[in-house]
Amino acid sequence: MTLQTVDLRKAFGGVTALDGATVRFRDGKINALIGPNGSGKTTYFNCVTGMIRADRGRVTYRERDLTGRAPHVIARAGIGRTFQLCRIFPRMTALDNVLAAVRPAGVFDALRGARHRVETGRARGWLTRLGIEHLAGAPAGTLSWGQQKLLELAGVLMTDPDTILLDEPAGGVNPALLDRIGTLVRELNAEGRTFVIVEHNMDLVMSLSDHIVVFDRGRPIAEGPPSVIRTDERVLGAYLGV
Amino acid sequence: MPSVSSRLTGGAAVLLLATGLLSFPGLAPNPYVLSAGIVVLHYAVLATSWNFVGGFTGYLSLGHGALAGLGGYGTGLLVTKAGLNSFVALALAMLLVSALAVPIGMAALRVRGASFVIVSIALVLILLLVFQSWASLTGGSRGLVVPRPFDLSRPEHHRVFWFLFSGLLALALLAWWLIDRSRFGLGLKAIREDEDKAEALGTPTFAYKLVVFVVSAAFTALAGGLYALWFGDLDPVFQFSVLTGSYLVLMALLGGVRNLFGPLVGALVVGVALEYFKVEFGNTPLHLVATGVLLALVVLFMPDGVLPAAGSLLRRLRPAGEQASIRDVTAAELRERRRAEEVRR
Ligand SMILES: Nc1ncnc2c1ncn2[C@@H]1O[C@H](COP(=O)(O)OP(=O)(O)O)[C@@H](O)[C@H]1O
Ligand SMILES: [Mg+2]
Repeated sequence: MTLQTVDLRKAFGGVTALDGATVRFRDGKINALIGPNGSGKTTYFNCVTGMIRADRGRVTYRERDLTGRAPHVIARAGIGRTFQLCRIFPRMTALDNVLAAVRPAGVFDALRGARHRVETGRARGWLTRLGIEHLAGAPAGTLSWGQQKLLELAGVLMTDPDTILLDEPAGGVNPALLDRIGTLVRELNAEGRTFVIVEHNMDLVMSLSDHIVVFDRGRPIAEGPPSVIRTDERVLGAYLGV
Repeated sequence: MPSVSSRLTGGAAVLLLATGLLSFPGLAPNPYVLSAGIVVLHYAVLATSWNFVGGFTGYLSLGHGALAGLGGYGTGLLVTKAGLNSFVALALAMLLVSALAVPIGMAALRVRGASFVIVSIALVLILLLVFQSWASLTGGSRGLVVPRPFDLSRPEHHRVFWFLFSGLLALALLAWWLIDRSRFGLGLKAIREDEDKAEALGTPTFAYKLVVFVVSAAFTALAGGLYALWFGDLDPVFQFSVLTGSYLVLMALLGGVRNLFGPLVGALVVGVALEYFKVEFGNTPLHLVATGVLLALVVLFMPDGVLPAAGSLLRRLRPAGEQASIRDVTAAELRERRRAEEVRR
């Protein structure tokens, strides 16, 4: 049905980053994953997307077992992600960054021109929607931090994912852009895309999400709608330090 | 779309290359110069073949000398031991080396950066040991004599092989150009920039790397095999030498790995210098030192090679305005722009 993990564990040397994370996200909704620094949110994303192999546990997505699959297989299953530290291809143009997300259907398709008219049109469409079309020809490395975050998202959207994992989309971003990202997430969600958002900006989380999962020390300690999470004592204790 | 000026530059480069390749045998004053030219041309094919891996994916292989050696010995042995026609043997050796490149690539391409470089060196050393000690088959350090494919005079022999190498170079350049503009090529360049990110976007990075490694190995084997048929005498020490791989890296980096003609230009510069050194000083360790120093200088001062460096110099001299809308930028240009931005702040 949806993105789901059972008893996900991961230790780095002596540090336990994930300690039996059993989580089920809501399909078609905007989910948030919050928790203090070091509570394992990024590691969770890395395990779900296959960038890191979990020590144990299972990942399933829409009835499909994705445990231990390679990142590109998971991406092709329909899960897209952004990175906390925003990863783009700095020496390629912004347009090529988006085109690099095109998946050839076979050997002959792979040998077709990278700047095929149809794909280039789609890529420009995403750049336009994210408001950075005027930077299409610029080397991605010369874009500002906020523009790079938008560009990364444009690349992910080019893969047409059903579910999008965002790792701190508001990190280091100015208020105007923050607004735009919020609106964009809502629109994309209305178009049928599921979101899981790791975020520290509580205003954004509370206003945006339908369902919140709270992590502490590598496992969920609470979940529910914003109204419940806001007043949950365990959450206040562990996370907000109250 | 490529701009008009970059298309013109490309067209002019192809014309220049074709003219050079067609006229050199007629211009060479004696067979010796022609044969030196063939050595340089053979380097150009090897460096262009190397650039399928090095240029697109950024994986720096020092082991390509060994792939050329395998192509050479494969061809030589198929002619001498199996009695095959020279060019059938060449094609078969290419196929065999390509097949062998699959397990080699699967082992080597698992590791990145410096580890990959070291694995590629290990490949050369292992093959050197095998071919030196398996004397009954390979002739060991006494060498393997490969009969000439045509019954021609020495100058004619050189002339024919000059054109054969020219054809192979054209084929390798064409293949590189096709990949460069393809989706496959863009995926490979994404690997060069950030392999994990490329994979996260759905690119099967390992398969991409492996395919381009096999393509590279195929062209390298053809160049090695053709060399065997031309030169007619193989010695494991020269065929399986880390030095050959180092020369190829130097040539490609010097010319510019992101440019179709980069490795070719680098091969021209380094190859001519090597041949000159050989004549002036004989086979001394001196050119080893010179190679090392040159490599260090290139990496330090022209990380994108001479072609892009010359290109950005030209662009700076030209009035601003006319710029291609979509194209790769070089590290030098990127640094330049960053510097300009910093000044503005
Ligand atoms: N690659 C790694 N190597 C070693 N330790 C790591 C690695 N990645 C994360 N950790 C550790 O795992 C814990 C969880 O980190 P992380 O998942 O980044 O947390 P969050 O994203 O919630 O801030 C931290 O203690 C962190 O130091
Ligand atoms: Mg994190």
